[in-house]
Order: sequence, then structure tokens, then C-alpha cells
Amino acid sequence: MADPAVMAGGFSAIRSGCGKATSSPAENYQLARRRTLQVVVSSLLTECGFESAEKATVESLTEMIQSYISEVGRCAKAYCEHTARITPTLSDTVVTLNEMGFNVDTLPGYAKRSQRMVITAPPVTNAPVIPKALIAGQKRTHPSHIPSHFPEFPDPHTYIKTPTFREPVSDYQVVREKAASQRRDVERALTRFMAKTGETQSLFKDDVTAFPLIAERPSSIPYLSALLPSELELQTLEETDSSEQDDQTDSENTPVNNLNDDPGADKENSVLLAGSVVPLVKVSEESMIDNPYLRPVKKPKVRRKK
Amino acid sequence: MNRKKDKGFETPLFLNVLTCYVMFIPHTTHQVVCINNINFQRKSVIGFVELTIFPTVVNLNRIKLNSKQCRIYRVRVNDLEAPFIYNDPTLEVCHHESKQRNLNYFSSAYTAAVSAVDPDAGHGELVIKVPSELWKQGDEMNVLKVYIEFSLDQPKGGLHFVVPDVEGSMAERGAHVFSFGYQNSTRFWFPCVDSYSELCTWKLEFTVDASMVAVSCGDLVETVYTHDMRKKTFHYVLPIPTAASNISLSVGPFEILVEPYMHEVTHFCLPQLLPLLKHSMSYLHEIFEFYEEILTCRYPYSCFKTVFVDEAYVQVSSYASMSIFSTNLLHSAMIIDQTPLTRQCLAQALAQQFFGCFISRMSWADEWVLKGISGYIYGLYLKKTFGVNQYRHWIKEELDKMVEYELKMGGVLLHPTFGGGKDKDNPTPHLHFSIKHPHTLSWKYYKMFQCKAHLVMRLIENRISMEFMLQVFNKLLSLASTASSQKYQSHMWSQMLVSTHSFLKSISNVSGKDIGPLIKQWVDQSAVVKFFGSFAFNRKRNVLELEIRQDYTSSGTQKYVGPIKVTVQELDGSFNHTLQIEENSLKHDIPCHSKSRRNKKKKIPLMNGEEVDMDLSAMDADSPLLWIRIDPDMSILRKVEFEQADFMWQYQLRYERDVVAQEESILALEKFPTPASRLALTDILEQDQCFYKVRQGACFCLAKIANSMMSTWTGPPAMKSLFTRMFCCKSCPNIVKTNTFISFQSYFLQKTMPVAMAQLRDIQNLCPKDVLNFILDLIKYNDNRKNKFSDNYYRAELIDALTNSLTPAISISNEVRTVDNLNGDVRLILEEITRSLNMEKLLPSYRNTITVSCLRAIRMLQKNGHIPSDPSLFKSYAEYGHFVDVRVAALEAVVDYTRGMHRTSPSEVSRTHPIPYVVHKILSMLGKNPPFTKAAESPLCNEALVDQLWKLMNSGTSHDWRLRCDAVNLYYTLFGLTRPSCLPLPELGLVLNLKEKKAVLNPTIKPEQGPDTTEMTGITMGVHIPGLITMETVSSVSMSSGVAPPPQGLKRKLDSVVGPLGSSSPEPGQVLQEEDTSKKFKIRFNTVEEDEIDMESPHDSQAFIHHHLNILERPSTPGKEPPAVDQAVLSLPVTPLPSSFGKESTSSSKHSGDHHHHHHHHEHKKKKKKKHKHKHKHKHESKDKERDSHAFSNSPASGRSARSPSMSD
Repeated sequence: MADPAVMAGGFSAIRSGCGKATSSPAENYQLARRRTLQVVVSSLLTECGFESAEKATVESLTEMIQSYISEVGRCAKAYCEHTARITPTLSDTVVTLNEMGFNVDTLPGYAKRSQRMVITAPPVTNAPVIPKALIAGQKRTHPSHIPSHFPEFPDPHTYIKTPTFREPVSDYQVVREKAASQRRDVERALTRFMAKTGETQSLFKDDVTAFPLIAERPSSIPYLSALLPSELELQTLEETDSSEQDDQTDSENTPVNNLNDDPGADKENSVLLAGSVVPLVKVSEESMIDNPYLRPVKKPKVRRKK
Repeated sequence: MNRKKDKGFETPLFLNVLTCYVMFIPHTTHQVVCINNINFQRKSVIGFVELTIFPTVVNLNRIKLNSKQCRIYRVRVNDLEAPFIYNDPTLEVCHHESKQRNLNYFSSAYTAAVSAVDPDAGHGELVIKVPSELWKQGDEMNVLKVYIEFSLDQPKGGLHFVVPDVEGSMAERGAHVFSFGYQNSTRFWFPCVDSYSELCTWKLEFTVDASMVAVSCGDLVETVYTHDMRKKTFHYVLPIPTAASNISLSVGPFEILVEPYMHEVTHFCLPQLLPLLKHSMSYLHEIFEFYEEILTCRYPYSCFKTVFVDEAYVQVSSYASMSIFSTNLLHSAMIIDQTPLTRQCLAQALAQQFFGCFISRMSWADEWVLKGISGYIYGLYLKKTFGVNQYRHWIKEELDKMVEYELKMGGVLLHPTFGGGKDKDNPTPHLHFSIKHPHTLSWKYYKMFQCKAHLVMRLIENRISMEFMLQVFNKLLSLASTASSQKYQSHMWSQMLVSTHSFLKSISNVSGKDIGPLIKQWVDQSAVVKFFGSFAFNRKRNVLELEIRQDYTSSGTQKYVGPIKVTVQELDGSFNHTLQIEENSLKHDIPCHSKSRRNKKKKIPLMNGEEVDMDLSAMDADSPLLWIRIDPDMSILRKVEFEQADFMWQYQLRYERDVVAQEESILALEKFPTPASRLALTDILEQDQCFYKVRQGACFCLAKIANSMMSTWTGPPAMKSLFTRMFCCKSCPNIVKTNTFISFQSYFLQKTMPVAMAQLRDIQNLCPKDVLNFILDLIKYNDNRKNKFSDNYYRAELIDALTNSLTPAISISNEVRTVDNLNGDVRLILEEITRSLNMEKLLPSYRNTITVSCLRAIRMLQKNGHIPSDPSLFKSYAEYGHFVDVRVAALEAVVDYTRGMHRTSPSEVSRTHPIPYVVHKILSMLGKNPPFTKAAESPLCNEALVDQLWKLMNSGTSHDWRLRCDAVNLYYTLFGLTRPSCLPLPELGLVLNLKEKKAVLNPTIKPEQGPDTTEMTGITMGVHIPGLITMETVSSVSMSSGVAPPPQGLKRKLDSVVGPLGSSSPEPGQVLQEEDTSKKFKIRFNTVEEDEIDMESPHDSQAFIHHHLNILERPSTPGKEPPAVDQAVLSLPVTPLPSSFGKESTSSSKHSGDHHHHHHHHEHKKKKKKKHKHKHKHKHESKDKERDSHAFSNSPASGRSARSPSMSD
């Protein structure tokens, strides 16, 4: 539990460092960080059994590790801001790492590995002044495998669970019951609202308000709504699909964006009114498939007058 | 309108040509069709055709072509202007408004009209005179090129325009057009020789908007922009000789999908549906592979196109190298139920590509071969894909359907032969239509014809083996494909046409077997065989004495002589016996193999080699017979009614492995409501291996049995515990599991069980409370969130279950249906229905299945008297702009309402945008559920209706063969073959002045208020609102005085028209009538309401009688809403306006003033002829009034007069 929290702290520090790249102390600070990273890379290489490495290689590895860490920081920050906080917490970082395809569970084991090299503290430079935050509770001390120069633990409330609600009822029957009546209530409220705010048809002449039916509205293209799956259905389909997909792609490190892009694009295709009749076959296929309908339209022949 | 304009082109010069008639049949060898303008806004088409004709006779001076609707601008033969005559006798079948009104007369006239333009006999609507300059060339047999320029304006048949009314360009709106028709209907959209036997090669050019795609037959050679780059021209070439009837076109902003497995196959769908298209078509290549493999023949065309269009005429129609489907066949991966249906449609379409499009028929009498073969190979596909069970189930279903039809309507004749004499030797005198032409055939008959054709093919297969069968097909195909590559001059093309003779010849060549008797029995002869079987077991002789009797005297039956297979399941095994059915032998002795020995424990071998343990305690100790089946392989087209003991049916259900046998025993067990039957059915329900359709059938049978056993039934309601065990949670049995639908068998069972359970009734004949709550819980706890399939069909069936649970309302006298006195259970049901229906507006389900079910449920609530009967809701759902399934369901409700309320008007809804399919549905639903029949008296049966329907079939449906035949069918159902009884006898004397009557009454607006008024009076009936009484009093006064002037407000515009035309001024009597009717509308609806009470809730008969007495005291005039069966026709220009409603007439005069003009002088003549008919009708009315004042609503008077505006010129 603790280790990722440390990392989170570390990353956020880096990130905040990055933010102030204008002043020269900050530059120094960055250089120092960079040097530390180089040391880290070199030590990792050594750990892996390399005896020497070209400078360029070390440079690019450093660049990679730096951008990875920055990305983690950026994402974690984004997550925390999304939930209206200003400091990333452990869970933000965990989510970030998960999103980036990193299996967090392996982290504690890795951190405690036996042959790890201890890296000396980075040269102390004038670290940018971090404004003091309100301290709540007792901060935990570093466990033995975390170098002391690493940032301190954040406030305990950011990672300690404080139960403020009752245990949810997990009895199957009650849950189903609840879901069913909730759905029914929502549906009823929604349809009643629609009926009240729009035109209705009624089954009884004496009491028009009893059992109001939302008035039917002829559509110009009735088959579209009747044939295309509704957005809700699409969503469920995506959920069931993506849960299956997740299982497969978990091991690969699929970037966050790709997962979101594909279904979104599909949806757009289906929802947007296709204005033109340009064949929707991908360009790459087009070259292979010889189908008369995919061939380009010919230009008219020049008139004979000329 | 069309007709008139066409007539404008008549060249009188040629009338003399008609007189010197020379029979000839020229051959078209090549045809060019060029459509250079398609205007979606105006729904018009302009183009030309060029036929290359090879004269087969010297001195060819006239050429006859088929053309309907087309306006022809000019005709040139070899660049010389040629005069032509255009005459289409089918536009109006019976000319000069004859008074016959007799279906026999109509049918023969219609047949004659169709024959007169029959391309197979060398006739046609368009007669072109070959310019005399070219006559001499005829000697040298030179090729003639006939060039015809034509246009189509708002075609009613042949081409269907779909132009959604939204913003944007035509492409953005998804506007499209496609060709359609029943049988050979290509003549509706371009001039041609519209015959399946007239083959030629084709060049097709279509210039369409640059945003559109034109899909047509043959290979797309190139697409070229026009000079302004706004349009492009699609050039198609079809080198394979093809009949004009197999040419089609569809143009629209289609999305294009190239089949990933076969790049020569292209799919087209309307914008936004591409994802559905991708999924629905993902299976097509397997069907291709299947057919190519069994036929050992490549797909004959070089490409294949599928187009999915909206408002399709039929679900599937096949043309040369392309098929047009209904867009409603498309579905996403979430949909279970539609998937097999769509695949079946694809398979049918593809089968018809081989037999029907590539191989065409020699003549109409050979149609059965093509339909038979394509149906047969489709069956093979079914067997391979959906399994033997499904296949056998399908065969049984088709057989039952066909047998039922033949027994009811008389035989279906596959291969009619017509002698020289025309009407004398009609092979099917039992039918009310002629089967000489496809266009005179009832749609239902044609469906049964197709059904029988493939069943007969199966019989042939049984006789000669499948291997030979496929060899024959292969032979036909390879001959045809050799022929197709030849030039016309080689005279080989006829090889591409199949005839009964050539088909039978190849069968005998290939198999060496004589199938003559079989053909004679089933193909040359109509009707089916009806067997009755019973048996006795003779213990002494150990012989089964089987008696098989035949009914060959009733209609639709024939005598069968020949072998019949009987399968006897004995203790020792299953034995097949082939008995010979002969003239006089009824009894057959079958020796049994096993002695009865029930004590020995031994497994019993079944037919399929399986050995099973059976509990033999139920069976007769003396007999070794377990069950007996007659003709188990369905190798005779027959109906078998077999009697055996209940335990034998139960054994058959449990242990016979054939699904047909299982279904038969389920049907039989309905008559044996015993605990043993219950157990057998329950066991079947629980058996996973059992075919799901059998289990579905068992559900309904179990419900019926449970109802019969009501008093002795023990335990929870039938199927409840079963359902709970199968589909509910283990921990909480009242909650259904969340849906997964992974096992389709259980899915179908889960859908069916609640529907069947809802049919259960308790001693009070109500649905048990348990069951209702159970179904309501199913709806409540239905949870589809984790399901990758849609649950729309399941939810729809749950609504159906609610519908099934409804029983007639018990109402206290005088009670009107109000919210307050709604029964508690019904309130719950209604709440579910309203919620579901409302949710559909927000989250529509696939094909709006739930809306459809809800509409049915609401109609059932109305019918059972829980809520006020009112068609307005259905009418609004029946409007154009709803999904077609919803419209059809709503129309069905309106039709049903018509039957209950004795009022007709369903067709009016489709008036504004007639979609052929919907109009067809209306007519066939009316035919299926007629408001009255020839046998029964009905207030609706009056002259106005007869006239309208007559007009509909006579001229109103000339644009669509199918519709016309539907109208004929409806006419037959309503009035029978002879003159409708409601019409006065034609011999009665004339009372001239009464003719005006027709022109008088036009209850402007009033009928439209009908429903509301009904409701009002319905409510006030018990209370006697003073106002109402006043009204009545007033009218009664006016009636008695008889001279009251017509109220100004009610005077129709047409009065003025009537004045100058009519020879006599309006009679007092008629004025009176007008007045009365207008006043009396309310009262009349009173009675309507009464009638309904009478019919639907027997409980308040007392109140009913009371009201009747009330009404009897009221003076009343005949008044009734004129039926408007053919309102749909309103928009057809060729139809005289049947404006029966006041509203109608006003609106039509507004909209289509010129229509009026057109028809005026037309109608004029007819009117005069009608005069004498009307006056004696008047007498009838008065009699009616006296006889039965309550029946005043029956009087034809108001109905007739109501429609008068259209008649008065």
C-alpha cells in the first residue's frame, strides 16, 4: 500500500517541478533531477547486468523514463482535478498506472527486491519553495526500503479509509428488488414527465389524465429508430464487449486513448448523417478490391465541338 | 389522369389496323433502357428504350409491346416515326359501369382483359405500326430497331418512390426509388415484352444525381459524370439473355459494402444502416457456397447485388443478378429472433437467382417447376443450417398450411392446362378467380402454390433420390449456361427456359424412373388427400387391423390410390409397413412382431436404433403396440386424422424422436386432459434435448389441458414451478435471473412459457391471480443490463402474456367504462402497458416490437370491455410515418374494431401515402377478419360498400395486380360469387325521381365526429341528458312534418352541381332524409354503441335491452357511416373519387380539383345508367325502417347517399 503512495508523492513533486521551468533555480533543480534520473537508469542497467552503456543510450532511456514519469504525474493530476481536489492521492496514481497498463500489484514486490541498488540522494539544490499545506494527522515514516530522501508520505487522510456510511445491503434479493423498483420509479417518473410536458393520447374519455400515453409522433424516416440499436443498447453492448476486450488486452499496454477512440468513432459513423455516398471502405482495402462500385467516376469525354 | 393523357396519344389513323389482325410473335434480341432523369421531387422518370427486334415473319407490320402507366412521346422504327396505339383493357375491367356487380362476371372480364395484353400470346398494350417503308425489308428479315421515348409521372405501380419529408437534399433525406411488382410487372416502368419467356440481352443506363447510386441488373461497366458534373450515368451491361420481367432498378443514396469474402458481391443499404448491413450480410457467403456445392455449378452471373429499401413490396424479390430486400430485415448482433428470418430470406433470394432469374420459365403453367426447385433447394439449405428438426418442422408446417387452404378454398393446381375453348373447361371451377394468368391469382393462392410446388419437389426427391434430383438441376443449369453464352442466332436461348415437359424429361433421362403417376396426382390435378385412420388389435391373431378411410368428396380433396407407409412401434421395435391403398379396401391387416410381454424388463428399440427404458404400466396389457403413425415421412400431400389411445399419444410424445410425430401427439393430447398427459407434457418441457419448437407447443397444450382439468388440478398453476426452476434465482424463487440468453433454446422457452401460462383460467374463467402476479413480477424484475442480446422480443412477449390473461369485464348494468370502475388487476396491467408504450417513445425497441404488443393489448382491453372501445388511438398509429409493423398492428386493431362496431374505415389511413405493402395488408386483413360475410346479415352490407369495392377492383387497383386480386378476394369474402344480396334485384321497376337521392345526402363532417359522439352518447345514455332528447325531438318533428327545409349548414357544395344536371328538382323525401340523417347522427351512434355492448359483454344485456326499448321509442332515420373501404384509392388518379365522407369530399375538391374535372364526364354516363337502380332501393329502405327500427343503421340509404358527391356531376 505504502509504496505506490510514495511514488505518487515523488511524481507529483517532479510534476510541480516541471511547472516552474522559467526561473533559474528551477532549472537547476531540473538538471539535478535529470542527473538523478540518469543515475537511476544507469543503476537499473547495472542491475540488469550491463557493464557499460553508450551515453546516447543512457540519454534516450532517461528521456523515456522521464516522459513516463511525467505522464504518470500529468494523468494523476488530471484525475485529482477531475474530482475537485488539488493534490493527487494514492488512488489517482493507482488509476493512472492501471490506465497506462501498469500492473500496480507487482510494484511492492519490485520495490522490495533484494538486489536493488540504493541511490544516493540527489545533490541538494535550492528546491523551489513549496507552499505549506494544512497538515492533518501524523505522517507515516518511510519503511526501510524507501530512501529517506524520497518525499514524505502524504497526509493520512488521503489514503486511509474512513468509513462514513453503512455497509451496503448485499443480499441478492434485496438488491434485485431495489434495482427493479428504482428502475420502475425512474421510468414512471420520466414517462409521466414526458406526458405532462408534451402531447398525450388518452384511453379514457372521462379522465384524460389517467394512464396518459405520450402522443405518437410520426417520423419521416421511421425505420431508423426502429432498426438501429438505441444508445442505451449500444452502451450495454460496449460494456459487455469491452469487458471481454479488457481481459484480452490487459497484458498489452494499450494506451488510454485508443480504448476510448474506437467505439466512439464507430458511434459517430452510425449516428452522424452520412451526407455523401462515398464508399465507406477503407482506402487500403480499396486498392485490393476490384469492385465496379468502388472505382472512381470517370470524367465526361470532351465534347466533339472542340 | 394517366389514362387520359395516354389516350391523348392515340392516333385515330390506326384504328383500321386493329381490324386486320395478324398473329405474329417477333423476338427481341437486345434491349437498351436508358433513364436519363429521375426526379424525386416530382416522382417522375424520363427515358427511352430501344428494342432490337428480330422479325420471325415476313411482312411484319405491327409490333405489340407491353407498357402500362408510361406516357409515350414518340416511337421510331429504324429512325422512322411510327404511329402507335395505346390501349390497356385492365385499367377498367368492366366498362360502362355495368350493373352486374357479380364476381363471376368480373372474373371472366378480368381474365379476358389480362389475356388481351398477355405477352406470352403475343399481345400487348402498345401497338406500333411499322412504317410501310420498312415492310419490304421484312422480306429480308432485317432487324428492326424500335425506339420509344417515354416518361412516368407519379407511378402507382412498377416503381416506388420513397421520399422522406425532412430537410436537406434528396440524398441527405434518404430518398430512394426501386422497382417492384408481382410477377411480370416490368411493363409498369418501361415498355418491353413483359414475359418471362422472352429473353434478350440488355444495356441499361441510368443518369442519377451525383450523390446517388443506381443499382441494376448486370455488370456495372462504368460510371461517368455528366458535363455539368452534377450527375453521373451508370452503365450496365447484361450479356446473359434475360427476360424483361427480371430487370429491376433501385436508385438512392446507398451506402456500399463489398462482401469481404467475395468481391463480386456488393451490398447496398440506406444511409446510417451500414453497421447493420455489415452484420446481417456477414453470413451470405456461406449460402453461396452451399448452393454452389449442391448444384455443382457456379453462380451464373458475374456479380450479385443486394439492395435494402424501405417500404418494400415484399420482403424478398429476386431479379437477374440482384435482389431487393426490405430494409427491415437488417439487424444488429444483439437481435436474436430476426437473425434466422433474415438468413432465410437471403437463402430464398439466392435460390431464386439460379431458378427463376437465370433459368426462366417457358409459360405460366411451368411456374411451379421454378418455384418448386428454388423452394426445394432452399429447404436443403434449411436442413443443413438449422438442422433436420427445423427442416421437418418446416415441412410439416408448410404441408399443414397448404392442406388447410386446399380443404377450405378448394384445390391448388400446379400445372393448369387450358383447352382451346375459353371458359368452358376451367380447370378450377371452385375458385372465384381464374388461374390462367398470374395476375388474376389471389395472393394467398399464389403463396400456397409456391408451398405446394416445393412440397411436390420433395415428393419427387423421395421417388428418385436426392442425388438424381441434384443431377437434374445441374443438368438444367449447365444447359442454360452453355446457351447463355451463345448468340441469339444460334437458337439456343430456349434452353434457358424450363418447362414442365423438359423438366420431366430430364428427370426420366437422369433417373430412368417414371414419375408419371406422381406428376399426374399432384401436379396435373389439384386437391389433397384426407385420411381417417383407426385400428383394432386382434389378440388372437396377433394382428393389427388398421382401417384407413378417405374423404374424397368434399372440396379440395382427391382420391389417393397407391402405397402408404405405416410405422408401428411395438415392444420389440419399430416396424415400417407399406400398405397399398386401393379402391375398395379400407382394412389392412398388419402382423405384429412381438407378443405382449410387459413383464419382461427389456429396453425397447426405437426407429433410430436407440434403445430406451420405458414405463410400460400405462399401456394395454394385451397389446404390444406402443404407437402407430400413418405416412410418417409426409410423402403424400395429406391430412391424417388418426385415432389411438391417449397413452399411445403419450408414448409417442415421449419416445418418438421425430419432431413431426411429437407435434402431432401434442395436438392430439389436447383432447385427453388427464394427469398422464400433463406428466408427459411436463417431461417434454423439461427435456433439454427436445426440439425447442416442440417444447413451445407443449406449453400451449399444457395450458389447454390445465384448463380442462381445472377442477382436479393440483399444485401450483401449470408451468409455474417449471419456469421458476429453469429461469429464476435459486435463492429467491420469485425473482427471475438476469437475462443472458446464451442458450437460445431456453430463450425461446422462456419467452413462450409466460404467454402460455396466461391462457390458464380458474373456475370463474379468470386468469388466476397467481399467474398474473407472476407475469407482472417477470416484467418488474426483468434485468437486461448484463446481456449482450436485446430483450425486446422477450418484453414484447411478456406484454402478450398480459394480453392473454385478459378476460371479459364483468360490468354492472348501465356501466360505462371509466377509470374509476377499472378492475384492480386490469389497472395493474394497464399501468404496465402504458409505461412500456411510453418508454418506447424514449427508447424504441428493435422493430418496435413492444409498441406492436402494446397496441394489441389495448385492443384486447377494449374488446373485453375494460376500457372504452375507440379506434382513434389505432388510427393515429396507423398513419404514415410509423414503422410498418406498428402500422400493420394498428390497422389490424382498426379492422377488428370494424368487425365489432360494424363500421368500416381502416383504409382511409393509408390514403395520404399509399404504400403498396400496407394497402395489401389492409385488404388481406379485412379479408381474414371481415366485418361480415356473405352468410351473415350486416348493416354494413349495403350498396355503397358494394359500389366502392367494385370500383376498387374494377379500376382503382389497375396499377398493382396483387391489390386488385386482394380486392377481388375481399369482395368474394363479403358478397360471394353472385350479385350481393343487399343490392336490389335488377328487374324491379324504376322510380325515376328518386335517383336524385343519391345526390342528396352528404353528411358533411358528421361522420368524422362519429367516435366522439359515440363516446358522448355512450356516457349519457343512462343519464338522458336533456340536450340529447331535445335533439331527438327536433328531428322526430322534422321527420313527421317531412317538409322541413334543409339546414343551411348541411348543404353540400355539390348541391349546386346537382341542380342543373338532375332532371328533376330534389324531392321532399330526400330533403327530409338529409335533414334527418344530419340530426340523427348521434342517435345512430347510440345504436352502434349498443351493438358493441351486446357483442362484447354479455353481462349487461339487461341494460342493453333497456336501452333498446328506449331507442325503439325514438323516431329514427337510417343513418350509418358509409364504409370507406377504398379510401386508399382516393389518391389514385384513375379512380373516380369515392368520396364517401363529407370531409373527404371537401378535401378532395380542394386538393384535386382537377381530378373532379377529369372524372366528371366519365361519371356522367355511368350515373345515368344507375338511375333506375336507385329508386327501388328507396322502397327497401322504408321497409327496413318499418321492420326493425333498431336496424335503421343497416339501411343502405344514408350510405348510398353519402357517397353521392362523387357521383353527382
